[in-house]
Amino acid sequence: MAKQTFTVGQVLTAAQVTSLQQTAMLGGAAQAKTASYTLVAADAGTAISMTSTSATTITVNTGLFAAGDTVFIQNLGSGNLTITAGSATVSTAGSLILPTNDAGVLYFVSTGVSIFYDFIQVGAASPLTTKGDLYGFSTLDARIPIGANDTVLTADSTQSLGLKWAAPASGGITLISTTSFTGSTLTLSSIAGTFKNLYCEITGLYGDSTYQDVNVRFNADTGSNYDFGRFGSQGTGTDITNSAAQTSLQIVSSGTNSGASEKSSAFLNIYNYAQTSVPVVFMGFGRGKQDTNFKSVFINGQYRNAAAITSISFIASAGNFSAGTVKLYGVN
Amino acid sequence: MNSIKEVNVQTGVEKEREMNASELKQYEIDKIKTEAIQAAIVAKAQAKAELLERLGINADEAKLLLA
Repeated sequence: MAKQTFTVGQVLTAAQVTSLQQTAMLGGAAQAKTASYTLVAADAGTAISMTSTSATTITVNTGLFAAGDTVFIQNLGSGNLTITAGSATVSTAGSLILPTNDAGVLYFVSTGVSIFYDFIQVGAASPLTTKGDLYGFSTLDARIPIGANDTVLTADSTQSLGLKWAAPASGGITLISTTSFTGSTLTLSSIAGTFKNLYCEITGLYGDSTYQDVNVRFNADTGSNYDFGRFGSQGTGTDITNSAAQTSLQIVSSGTNSGASEKSSAFLNIYNYAQTSVPVVFMGFGRGKQDTNFKSVFINGQYRNAAAITSISFIASAGNFSAGTVKLYGVN
Repeated sequence: MNSIKEVNVQTGVEKEREMNASELKQYEIDKIKTEAIQAAIVAKAQAKAELLERLGINADEAKLLLA
């Protein structure tokens, strides 16, 4: 029932009271519309029901409604219905675009100022449309379309949604060299500073009858620049060695009589090896035959010299290497 | 007898040569130092075992005592 102006002594019929009740409960008979429509004064207190397969509008003008008037608007059509400010203002905290089966109440603060209370608030309806889409935000909730295969989601403040799908940054591990052990010292030299970290992998290493341990030096530096802690474990027990200002670091403890059947292996990670501002840190594991037991060693420490590492020497503490391979990798 | 193998990892060129006098000297220093470290580890382990024997307890019991 449209808004009424009642007079003193007026008698309402049961049908009128029922209609007023329905209107107060946002129900009752609605004015069916099938095309864009401009509200008129008589729409105050009524329901407008739009049914259209095309996009339509409800236009709101000033000078027709009083403060406190309301119009219930619903969209039953497949085309979007847009509440459009004509000469009146229309504000909303939701959306002025009503998709199918959305509705809301247009409330007049004054004759020329209205607020539309959208029943489906922004965010209540998903903007996602496609497999893999993500829920994003610019100034409103928005869809981040799924990217191409093998791309990764990357923050980018220049994008409207602050994110983009992009090829992953290059990285990985590169084999720099593969070298066989011979002699009593093996030096890998001219290591380019183009990687972030270095990774050395030693396999199948053994030596002659006097061969024992393997020590490592950087840049052939025999100064007291190696600080490290070493935790060794073997069948007969464990030992912890904290060594500061050493002239090399020991990566394999083999003991004597470590023949072909008792090969050592080890790896050594050297972090941020090309910088010169702080000590280069390293960490590694080694395993060798110590008397009758295999001994594993964990070592971590720092090389305390302000120089980029360009060479690594593996030094037999006694005797000579008989066989074994070291692979040097660059890691980004 | 003591040789050094040097590999230029950029060019792949390998050179093998005998240690020069200063390298040999350093090698002997390293050797003595390593032997001393190993001897110290062995001596420490031996001293520990002897002490446990004198006390009449095993390593686990010693840990419990110190915990």
